Amino acid sequence: MSNNKKSYDGVAKVFDYFRAGDMRRWGPDQLALFKNLHGKVLYIGIGTGQEIVNFPPGLDITAVDMSYEMLKRSQTRAQNYHGKIHRCQMDAQTTGFRDNTFDTVVTVCVLCSVNEPINCLQELKRVLKPDGELVMFEHVLSKNPVYGLILKSMSHITEFMEGTYLDRNTVENAEAAGFNIHSHKNVYLDIVKALVAKPNIG
Amino acid sequence: MNLKVADFFIGTFAGGTVAMVVHLTLSSQSNMLLTMVLGGLIGMALLLPLKILLMPFFGAFEVMIPLGIIGMGVGMTAGMLSTLPNISGYAVIAWGDLAGFIIAGIIYFSNQRYTEQ
Repeated sequence: MSNNKKSYDGVAKVFDYFRAGDMRRWGPDQLALFKNLHGKVLYIGIGTGQEIVNFPPGLDITAVDMSYEMLKRSQTRAQNYHGKIHRCQMDAQTTGFRDNTFDTVVTVCVLCSVNEPINCLQELKRVLKPDGELVMFEHVLSKNPVYGLILKSMSHITEFMEGTYLDRNTVENAEAAGFNIHSHKNVYLDIVKALVAKPNIG
Repeated sequence: MNLKVADFFIGTFAGGTVAMVVHLTLSSQSNMLLTMVLGGLIGMALLLPLKILLMPFFGAFEVMIPLGIIGMGVGMTAGMLSTLPNISGYAVIAWGDLAGFIIAGIIYFSNQRYTEQ
């Protein structure tokens, strides 16, 4: 995990530049996904805070990121948000929160970069209330063999550059971690997805 | 510029660029199988820096997927075309442009199908 932290500290300076195109593409879909966020919200992987503009106003958000450099660069966006954002440096796989703390947990392109995605999702389930929602905006490995091959080959480069994996099966991982997928929308091909999951308490 | 329109421009530009470079590099070869393989490799190698250059402006996956297909597909076919006798470089580039445009179109309609599910 410390390697990931170092790599995200390293790319923090150019993170906004490299994500600008994605934000232009995904803005409307993120607005639609986030409009129903409610209650006490845990925002995993705030990064430089690019998604904050897509959050509805008035939320009580606890935002975490393991990279100090990213957190530093999110300050202005967090201050401009019309609601409460409390930021802290923390690893998504081992958060320091009590069980059943949050009504909603939000991840945006986080489960592609944590070392153990199922462990991370289990940790998110632990801090989420039993009737809470996990809201994910994530990219996954395409089931189309051509797209899948391209993602697998590019994954070696993105792993090397910034510790991001393009070949994660996040839907299956969420189910393996004890979530039921309640809403599943493809944003780009079957690669970028807007997902809402609830803890499986059966 | 509308990003959907930009996708078609990027596909066309990338296809033409790959075809031109492959033709300039391999037009002296006569072995069609060899030029096909080399053309595919050149196409993939050439479009890697182009992907990194375009991703910040047009989105990572929206650039990565079409250029991944165009690099190999156009590179291979342009390599094969370059071995044909009396074929002009302009014809190979025109093929690259057309193939890039068609691939961008296929991905556009593929995306429509996935996102409407």
